[in-house]
Amino acid sequence: MDIIKAVKTYRLTPALDQRLRLAEEIFHEIKSPLHGFIVGRLKLPSADDVFQEAVKAVTKDLTQFKGDSDKEFWAWCYGIARNKVNDHLRKQASDRLQPMEPDELLQLAETSAQSSPLSPEDRMDLQHALKMLTAAKPECSDFLWQHFVLGLDYSELAEERNISYDNVRMKIGRCLDTAQALMA
Amino acid sequence: MPNENTDAEAKLKKLGERVRDGLAKRHPVPEQSLEAVRQTVREEWQREQTAKRAKRIAPDVTKTRDREPPEPER
Repeated sequence: MDIIKAVKTYRLTPALDQRLRLAEEIFHEIKSPLHGFIVGRLKLPSADDVFQEAVKAVTKDLTQFKGDSDKEFWAWCYGIARNKVNDHLRKQASDRLQPMEPDELLQLAETSAQSSPLSPEDRMDLQHALKMLTAAKPECSDFLWQHFVLGLDYSELAEERNISYDNVRMKIGRCLDTAQALMA
Repeated sequence: MPNENTDAEAKLKKLGERVRDGLAKRHPVPEQSLEAVRQTVREEWQREQTAKRAKRIAPDVTKTRDREPPEPER
């Protein structure tokens, strides 16, 4: 589906029935990535509530979106989702998704394997990654968990921890060095 | 010598992809969200229609006011 074409048409059309059809198409396109983004940051059931708020905010402001490309649209959607997550965490910090136990992570990997099987090499890599997370010191384990497992980028981590982007980049580099050395 | 950091990074990224995919599979998108989207479209459309109607009426009110005779001075 050409998502930006649907968004542009939505912006221009005054007909309610056409807007409803286009909004549904856009929703089906964005629902899984945005839901995954939020479920990776918040505990359930709050994640579902925040997801609903985020898709409503995207829909409400579709006519205000000024971008012209898929990339801009996705950045805009993720920006809205990120703001909703942060707003929620300011009110309810305990809803942050906490690092999981290795067994739980392996179970999730097995769930993923139902549609895309794990090769023996994949399994070894996952075990290795889990060992690195477990062996790292708490601060490093937390950085590696948030960046690699949850998928938070450097800017998000910098904002969340109130440190600079470069500081985050260097810390993650050092944590990787240390984790790797512990496994050698 | 291979870059060990890149290797560690690749493994952690692989774990992250699998975990996020597993989370998404285990927690499907709530069905009621689509109805919330439809409701938002209707509300926004209604709001636009109200604003358009108000815009159409507003100039007429000004014209009517212009036509009104001035208040008599006391």
